[in-house]
Amino acid sequence: MRLGIIGCGVLGRFHAPCAVKAGFKVVACSDPVRANAELLAAEHGAEVIDDAMALCASDNIDVVAICTPTHVHAAFVIEAAKHGKHIFCEKPFCRTLAQCDDALAAVKKAGVKLFVGHVVRYFQEFCAMKQQIDEGKIGKPGFVRTFRGGQSPLGEGSWFRDFEKSGGVTLDCIIHDFDWLRYAFGDPERVFSQNLRERIDEGIDYAMVTFRFKSGVIATVTGSWAHPTGFKVKAEICGDNGMITYDSSEAPIASQLRGAGGAAPGVVLPASPVNDSPYYLEWADFQGWLQDKHAPRVTPEDAVWAVRMGLGAIESAETGQPVTF
Amino acid sequence: MTKLGIMSFAHMHAYSYAASIKQLNDVELTAAWDDDAARGKTVSAQFNVPYFDSLDAFLASGIDGVLICSENIKHRAMVEAAANAGKWILCEKPLATTIEDAQYMVDLCKKKGVGLGTAFPCRHVPPLVAVKNEIADGKYGQIYAATCTNNGSFPGGWFADPAQSGGGATMDHTVHVADVLRWMLGKEFTHVYCECDNLIRHGIGTDDVGSLHLEMEGGVKIAHVASWNRAKSFPTWGDVTMEIIGEKGVVTVDAFNQKLNLYNDEVMKTQWVNWGDNSDLGLVRDFVESIRERRDPIASGLDGLRAVEVTVAAYKSAESKRRVAI
Repeated sequence: MRLGIIGCGVLGRFHAPCAVKAGFKVVACSDPVRANAELLAAEHGAEVIDDAMALCASDNIDVVAICTPTHVHAAFVIEAAKHGKHIFCEKPFCRTLAQCDDALAAVKKAGVKLFVGHVVRYFQEFCAMKQQIDEGKIGKPGFVRTFRGGQSPLGEGSWFRDFEKSGGVTLDCIIHDFDWLRYAFGDPERVFSQNLRERIDEGIDYAMVTFRFKSGVIATVTGSWAHPTGFKVKAEICGDNGMITYDSSEAPIASQLRGAGGAAPGVVLPASPVNDSPYYLEWADFQGWLQDKHAPRVTPEDAVWAVRMGLGAIESAETGQPVTF
Repeated sequence: MTKLGIMSFAHMHAYSYAASIKQLNDVELTAAWDDDAARGKTVSAQFNVPYFDSLDAFLASGIDGVLICSENIKHRAMVEAAANAGKWILCEKPLATTIEDAQYMVDLCKKKGVGLGTAFPCRHVPPLVAVKNEIADGKYGQIYAATCTNNGSFPGGWFADPAQSGGGATMDHTVHVADVLRWMLGKEFTHVYCECDNLIRHGIGTDDVGSLHLEMEGGVKIAHVASWNRAKSFPTWGDVTMEIIGEKGVVTVDAFNQKLNLYNDEVMKTQWVNWGDNSDLGLVRDFVESIRERRDPIASGLDGLRAVEVTVAAYKSAESKRRVAI
């Protein structure tokens, strides 16, 4: 499978080796910052195509990976689908539900496969948690609490800090938790949320979100782009016969460097010292689906639901009342 | 010598208060009374304190103040009896199960000229005091938001009988953190949204998980979990935790995380042994000083009332599935 990557910033560079390991060949790279595209293309012996729409139309490409800011995902999905390309799209799928509808319609019309990178479904710790729940180790789950976040990311042109582009910490960061919660506990009934999106220009966003699921489960998610440094994930699941807790800061390795550290990275990614990176596992899952070996763990409908949950939370924070799905 | 009496041992905190009183100089536990005479006699013998069958005799026994540790629903009647007898009062939390009862108790004590305190020992937990002082000193600048928990184990007994407790985990475990936030930030609550239900220990007839979203004056946004969700195998009874987001930084406080991990083969579960200061001792010491200084304890009846208002509004929100104003 020949892969074209649109968006060669932190995530494009991050995904490329994972895709290669899963059997894709990177043949084309596009980025408005040409140097980013050139750097990645050189590593893979790929060509640089300045116009991302032209990349979508290229006959030399089978699959398009969209690693751009969120608000332009839909335009590239639609263009790639129109040219019969299969699509890997970073999460969140789109910035609005209207964009989700248009992009999904284009995908269905073209009969291509769309995979959205809800990578937390592939994180070993989250797989282990779901397995313990599914095996009944804590009985019937009733209450869930998660935390995800740390330092506010910037991204090229600080797009993460533009709420209209990223949707803030709610749509960009804890959408991971929203998707995993729905994966583990089914569809939500309603959501209530509070956030600090009015401070996103200062590099601060913080969201507190509570879902009530149709199963009765209550889940409260906190997302932070408000911490001065670091990145952390925590989860706690309470059932009628036990509990599970997880805290990423209790890691096997802790290192401290003397002397000058590097500049703050553009985006913070959780580190998972395991043989198979979850980012590779999602690419391998996508590859298996493309080869008709199995259905994907993340369906396009799952990706739309995740956006619906994120936008529902944002709407609730705006109105001060719960939003029913 | 200050003389104290305990009214009712229904709440297990009474045991800790009795033990704390024994540790203080110039303070004596001289009387006990319980509307459950058998329990009262047993516990009185345990602490070597005279037991009174009659409430009137108890109140006339020369005590300066009373600690009321009854079922929540009985707080009002006991406060009323003690206030009418001119005694200083420390009442277990929640002060009452309704705003009307709490208001009545506050007004009556004022009228009778006696001090009324609500048992909020968190105000005497050194890590919480330290963070309060740091916030007051401006270390974190303006405070924007906080995520808090007061989780616990299932207490059983009357706690899970709304006819005696007034409600479940949301009633039991909202008021401590509500009081800590008011005390730390110097602001009142304006709104609450609450999802609560019986989700962990099924069939108890009341909620054992409450997830609250609160707003305080000036738009400070708070998430709080009030629960009895700790597994029986969990290493400790529960927690009080806060993550506070400020203009100049973030501070987290895990109030009782001054602990050892104990692995005892006879118990076959990990236990946390707390080595931090005993906050009940601080609570009782302040109560004694409040009697001597003829003032309300640090956490007053009014503070108890404000916390009750949050709890009552939380249940109203859970019922209506709407955010409600406090």
